[in-house]
Amino acid sequence: MEMKDTGIISGNGDEQATLVVVFLRGGADGLTLVPPVGNSDYYKVRPTLAVAEKDILKLGDANCGLNPAFSGLLNIYKEGGLTVAPGVGSSDKTRSHFYAQDLMEHGGQLAGGWLGRFLRYREGRPPSALSAVALGKAMPEVLRGAPAATVMESLETFSLGSGSGPTESLQTELGALYGAKENILGPVARDTLQALGRVERLRREDLPPENGAEYRDDSFSNGLRQTARLIKARVGLEAVSIDLNGWDSHIAQSSLISPLMTLLSEGLAAFHRDLGELMNAVTVVVMTEFGRRVAENSSFGTDHGRGGSMFVMGGSERGNVLGEMPVIETGILVGPGDVPVVTDYRDLLSPILIRHGAGRAMDKIFPEN
Amino acid sequence: MKPEISDDLSRRIFLRGAMGVSLFATSGCEKIEDFLGMEPQEGPVVPPSGEGVDLVSHVLNRLTFGPDPSEYARVKGLGVDDESAVAFFLEEQLSPNEIEDKRTQRAVRRLEAIHAPLGELYEYKEDHLLEQLTRATLIRATRSKRQLFEVMVHFWSDHFNIDISKKECRWLKVADDREVVRKHAMGNFSALLKASALSPAMLWYLDGRENRKSGESEKPNENYARELLELHTLGVGGGYTQKDVMEVARCLSGWTVRGKDRFFKGKVEFHADAHDDGAKVVLGNEIASGGGRKDLDDILEIVGMHPSTARFLGRKLCIRFISDDPSEASIKKVAGTFLSSNGNIKETLRAVFATQEFLQGPRAQKLKRPFEFIVSALRGVRARVSSEMDVVDYLIRMGHAPFQYPTPDGYPDIASPWTGTLLWRWHFAIALARNEVSENINVEEEVLIEKAGGVDGLAASLLGRNPSVEEKAAIERSGEPLALLMASPGFQWK
Repeated sequence: MEMKDTGIISGNGDEQATLVVVFLRGGADGLTLVPPVGNSDYYKVRPTLAVAEKDILKLGDANCGLNPAFSGLLNIYKEGGLTVAPGVGSSDKTRSHFYAQDLMEHGGQLAGGWLGRFLRYREGRPPSALSAVALGKAMPEVLRGAPAATVMESLETFSLGSGSGPTESLQTELGALYGAKENILGPVARDTLQALGRVERLRREDLPPENGAEYRDDSFSNGLRQTARLIKARVGLEAVSIDLNGWDSHIAQSSLISPLMTLLSEGLAAFHRDLGELMNAVTVVVMTEFGRRVAENSSFGTDHGRGGSMFVMGGSERGNVLGEMPVIETGILVGPGDVPVVTDYRDLLSPILIRHGAGRAMDKIFPEN
Repeated sequence: MKPEISDDLSRRIFLRGAMGVSLFATSGCEKIEDFLGMEPQEGPVVPPSGEGVDLVSHVLNRLTFGPDPSEYARVKGLGVDDESAVAFFLEEQLSPNEIEDKRTQRAVRRLEAIHAPLGELYEYKEDHLLEQLTRATLIRATRSKRQLFEVMVHFWSDHFNIDISKKECRWLKVADDREVVRKHAMGNFSALLKASALSPAMLWYLDGRENRKSGESEKPNENYARELLELHTLGVGGGYTQKDVMEVARCLSGWTVRGKDRFFKGKVEFHADAHDDGAKVVLGNEIASGGGRKDLDDILEIVGMHPSTARFLGRKLCIRFISDDPSEASIKKVAGTFLSSNGNIKETLRAVFATQEFLQGPRAQKLKRPFEFIVSALRGVRARVSSEMDVVDYLIRMGHAPFQYPTPDGYPDIASPWTGTLLWRWHFAIALARNEVSENINVEEEVLIEKAGGVDGLAASLLGRNPSVEEKAAIERSGEPLALLMASPGFQWK
């Protein structure tokens, strides 16, 4: 494994490092995100969908590069803030979105998700009120089982008693009552109220992104923007889940996923720029349940496959290509002609989780690995 | 105010309780509301009035999922004083089958999937089974009059934890809940242990079904054997070695369960040809060769009634009912009763409740876990719940959904792992009081206040004692008495 040293990432002021999991739902086509370089077979099996060799953003002398849509990420790679990982996947052979997503989010045949188990079992002090946040409508499987997880569509809709009625007086009185009692809930209540206060202040102030970062106005970019705000507000954020949907490109793949790649690239680039130095305490993992069939189908799309491409940004990434793009000649393909899984997604995640302080909990987070 | 109860007195209490049991065992009578699915007429609400949690409230806090508004007065009325009332209540709860509970049974009967025979469970979608089982668990915890029984079901579900999402546990946990946990929850530990060892779901969960030794090269799968010793019986440090784990695995080799792609799916079988039939030594006991399927009984007898098992279980029960850090003396007493009663769970529970530490120790100092917090709130306000799954959403956010704990040790039963759930407790308290959890869950704050004789009465009935001066002031200033009360520190502890 070429992942670098396993030093622990230090936190960003509130002593918390933040792990952001971006899930590309639908099975993103690994060979389009990270096309192979100097591979003539690629052009044979992808007559209409292959990325032209001249357009591929080269990554040193690696045998794969970045899709031109990821131009915003190339600089981050060059500065050493991005790891590109081709041929990543799980042991799932059903090629079913449902099973493959569940398996990858659970980290095996287990209740709840690996991110939830990370929060439950990792070393250090117990998770706090806003340790885990899912940006979206529902709790994603990856966070299921976390001792406290908050689902919010945006900071604008998040507050205590998020329905009707005034809550300020309730918060004041809760603060007084919890403050008066000497037990372990006292400090927790203080932290929780503080976090709520910070979120409220964030909402009121609505500070613009920093370092000239500009977020697009879509729900994915908005989720990243909210995440950056929470990180800056030091509410104790440790784990974030954000989805980017729509990668199931059976038909007319180019027109379907080109805009998504732009969203992904620009969103991540804005987030990276906005956080600046704080990125040292943040790791973003971009994953998908499986890659797609090597050969394109008759409707200019691709079907469900195995190995896909993933990215890791920030933290203490060094900027490299993890492993190699598997060659795609017929002999090496698996099943009906799929990119083999050369890196188990858990092997990609494990060193990251260790850097985020999982410590001895790794055997509980991925017990089957 | 702590009641002064001598050892002698506590013994007398239990004798009195035992004699009085028949007085109320048949007190249930069918009411027309039962058939209409309405909330039954509740008894009079007479809230506690002590400065501190009195014995009756203490017992209700610990032996139940929290009292409903009229329960305090009902229990109080069972005896001439608190001690005898509590003794009557305990005896009542120790004979769950004699407690009339038709409304709960009817509500659960509608969840038809969980009553399906073993093989037919596979005909249901996994999600549907999980939903029905979860709903049944919530209905029973919230409504059943057999509260101590349900608390014990909860306890054993953690002790013999099965993560329902592993392989065929998705279907078979339903049978495990019914035939193992609920069947033996207040019975005998040895029977419970054996039922669990041969539970189809457990054979899947801890890979017992893969444990076979057909030839020289094949190594038994040790997963279940290890957890049997570490988590189900002796406990870590209970005096077993790696060699013992391997020997237990050899004894249990050959037991398996038929998978879902076969006839008689879910059926547990012993395959003599996959059993290691040589001689074994487990914890110093010799098991002769040729024992075949009987090896399992021998093993369970050795580990089930081992002194370390008594200690381990005694400690867990004391943690459950007494405190996060129970005294040696209490553990010893409970462990002693466990052994002398041959694993009789009722007798063992009696011993827990007769300890000085339970009767006179600190009260309202066990943190309610999220499930207990939510159920105690629903009970405390007599919420009308017609969709339990809306509540489960909150449990998921607090990481305490039933049957969804990933590792075999079960949800932790002490406070520290749960402190991060405070924000969601507040969310739930506020949403419940404002009738915003869902349109299927209704609470009538005005009616509750009126029946409790005012806001202070409501506070007392939820807190198990009179509210303090600070609490009264905070309640008044907040403008939302019920929301504040359920979110307040006093309501997080039992």
